[in-house]
Amino acid sequence: MNKASERENVNPLREGLSTRAVPQPCSVVIFGATGDLAHRKLIPALYNLAADGELPPAVTVIGFARREKSDDEFRREMEEATRKFSRQPVRDEIWKTFGESIFYHQSDFGDEAGYKSLAAKLDKIDKERGTRGNRLFYFAVAPDQFEPILKHIKAAGLNEAREGSWARVIVEKPFGTDLASARELNRVVHTSFAEEQTYRIDHFLGKETAQNILVLRFANAIFEPLWNTRYIDHVQITAAETLGVEGRAGYYEGAGALRDMVQNHLLQLLCLIAMEAPTDLGADNIRDEKVKVVGSLRRFAPNEVANSVVRGQYAEGAINGKPVPAYRAEKNVNPNSMTDTFVALRLNIDNWRWWDVPIYMRVGKRLPKSGTEISVHFKKAPLVLFNKQSTEENVLVIRIQPDEGISLRMQAKMPGTSFRIEPVKMDFHYGTSFGKASPEAYERLLLDAMSGDATLFARRDEVEQAWTFIDVIENAWAAKKDAPELFFYPAGSWGPEEADNLLARDGRAWRRL
Amino acid sequence: MPEVAEDYSLGLQVEVGTIDKKLKKLWQKGEGAMTRASLINLAVYSEAPGSLEKNTELIAKIAQTYSCRAIVIAADCKAKENRVEAWISAHCHVGGGRSKQICSEQISFRLEGACTNLLPSIVFSHLDSDLPLYLWWQDEFPDPMDPQLWAWVDRLIYDSQNWKNFDAQMRLVETAQSEAKQRIVLCDLNWTRLDKVRFALAQFFDHPASHHHFGEIENAQIDFAPGCRSTAVLLAGWFGAQLNWRCEKTKDAKALRFADADGHRINIVLREANGAPVGKVVLSSGGVEFVVAPAKCGDLLEVSRRGQEEKPIPQMMPAQDDDPVSLLSQELLRGGPHQVYLRAVNCVRELL
Repeated sequence: MNKASERENVNPLREGLSTRAVPQPCSVVIFGATGDLAHRKLIPALYNLAADGELPPAVTVIGFARREKSDDEFRREMEEATRKFSRQPVRDEIWKTFGESIFYHQSDFGDEAGYKSLAAKLDKIDKERGTRGNRLFYFAVAPDQFEPILKHIKAAGLNEAREGSWARVIVEKPFGTDLASARELNRVVHTSFAEEQTYRIDHFLGKETAQNILVLRFANAIFEPLWNTRYIDHVQITAAETLGVEGRAGYYEGAGALRDMVQNHLLQLLCLIAMEAPTDLGADNIRDEKVKVVGSLRRFAPNEVANSVVRGQYAEGAINGKPVPAYRAEKNVNPNSMTDTFVALRLNIDNWRWWDVPIYMRVGKRLPKSGTEISVHFKKAPLVLFNKQSTEENVLVIRIQPDEGISLRMQAKMPGTSFRIEPVKMDFHYGTSFGKASPEAYERLLLDAMSGDATLFARRDEVEQAWTFIDVIENAWAAKKDAPELFFYPAGSWGPEEADNLLARDGRAWRRL
Repeated sequence: MPEVAEDYSLGLQVEVGTIDKKLKKLWQKGEGAMTRASLINLAVYSEAPGSLEKNTELIAKIAQTYSCRAIVIAADCKAKENRVEAWISAHCHVGGGRSKQICSEQISFRLEGACTNLLPSIVFSHLDSDLPLYLWWQDEFPDPMDPQLWAWVDRLIYDSQNWKNFDAQMRLVETAQSEAKQRIVLCDLNWTRLDKVRFALAQFFDHPASHHHFGEIENAQIDFAPGCRSTAVLLAGWFGAQLNWRCEKTKDAKALRFADADGHRINIVLREANGAPVGKVVLSSGGVEFVVAPAKCGDLLEVSRRGQEEKPIPQMMPAQDDDPVSLLSQELLRGGPHQVYLRAVNCVRELL
């Protein structure tokens, strides 16, 4: 859409209001509607949007799943789930109208007739509720179900929007398990939906703090001049969780931490930290800059993987004083499993800005505490003053979750007659400064997809570039000969000692969370 | 810490010259367990009897969602002798599952005598540096206004609903604004009162396919509670300003008449009815009625579009509470330059 037609389409009554324009009315079809994601995240997110007045009344939700169920049964289940998982308490008055917008469609994913009847149902809803032929398909299913669903969506003509309407698809991760499968998945998706219709969701990007990285970097003039190899010593990105594999062993055994977290969430965070300023906030301009970062990641030669990547798996240990079993002893896990539950990496970005600035990432399960944060470690000030007393570097920490916020460590003189220097911390907490609760990531992302804003969704080339980088590591680990070792760490520790050595070799240490 | 104002007390009485010192001591006592938070300086001025206690309660509630340094001033300008009394307190709450208390501090003053001389020095000497100054003026503005005071205000908050002479008061504000060292944003709580209703009305027209209705609006109806006519007129002014309607004179006090750019007439009927400051609002356009009305439960709006061949789909949307805490909290959270407000005022200025 060009600028002139955008202006013509502006609603003059919207000017000056603190809320964004509501998206066009649409039908949201959730495949896998009886699953955990729909219960815990999707329906509560849609309810919260409705309660905040962010959705047009005609928005309709159709749960598509195999189990036999009536509309009323499905509504009751969704109400129960929303009461349990919603960010804000459920109001009966709001649920009454929202609940009436929820329908259930029973069908096997591979049953052609089920899609024909879905198409008829959507047409009827368009007429009765004014959804104008707009469709948003949400794939809350395992990737192996994508192909049959997409094939039948296409056969039923649901992938093609009528004149003046739109059809979009939201795809949940994992976006493949390697480059080949990601390409195949993209090919499969693109047989039915074009790239501009495809929204690959990464809920990390829907978090307020992740979005705030761009504001921090590009709306504050003090950081950007320092944001380069001249002033930054290194960057650390940590995503730690105390949880084990929980009920996801089936999926996790085939994925591991590198595929589950690094390929998507952590690389997305890295992109936001390392990208150049986009020309504007248009979705493709931002994503163009992010792709350049992934494309600039120095690829490992197979024999370099052991030196730059540490993989680990938790052994028996304790979390918060409570004994927990080893990964291999978890339900549905192979007792000889080689799956990584911990990864630490040393990366380099080969461009002018980041030349010679190592990026250290670590992600793990059963670590002592949960938290995701990025820390930017600046170079130390010269030691010519203060009797050459060693000082600590300035560290800018961006906390993604929990306790979202930003802190800056700096040096201060200790009170007294001598020059004793100690680090102090300036700390900004979202929760302290802004009492208003942030919307959940899924609320923001669902609203963006309905509004056709793909900024916070991963593009095909981003995903494929990320797999190109990850595949080298996975292939080295899978090699029959000279595969890098899998190190074990006790649950409740900060990972294997080798992860510490990764930094110690460079004269550095992991930040204490 | 005894000064925590859970009971909305004024806190610890202090000598004016020792406020900074006493505040420091207050925070030292709570160190480790309390986090002092502040986004703005919020000065509140009132000459109403009992306002100090009432405003302390308001600030305690507002601080739960909007951390600030509050400077609450109660003035008795008619007192014969000059006198200043001061108190310090902290409003704390535990937020976001954190173990620490998040606290906003409040400095309270009771001024007697020459308020105009005392006020600027009282406010300016107790500002948290580098934070914007929001001044909530709860009375009518004095004529002339003290330029020394307005010079540093970033946002001036007032409620025009009860102004006896809107034009005269607005002129005072505009003069102060033009003489200020920097741009003062005018924040009228009477405008904030309309925030959710405007949001509910605006969403009908977000889809470009609905835009043709702008040119087809024939009439509207706005219900208002007794004493809230100005709120309804302001809403009509918003339609006028945003849809390029010109206000025409009419002798009927219960109706407003506008003309669009093509000379097409739009009648807006104002109807007094008990209930919310602005109650039911109906826009009629091309055979379709766009209706926003308070729901029975009181804190929601029932929103629907009714056409001849359309099945109405009712929707519940958030409504704006009319109490001062909700109004001010909403105003603080939304921010913005409020240029639309000024345009709305100018559209119906003579009718306010």
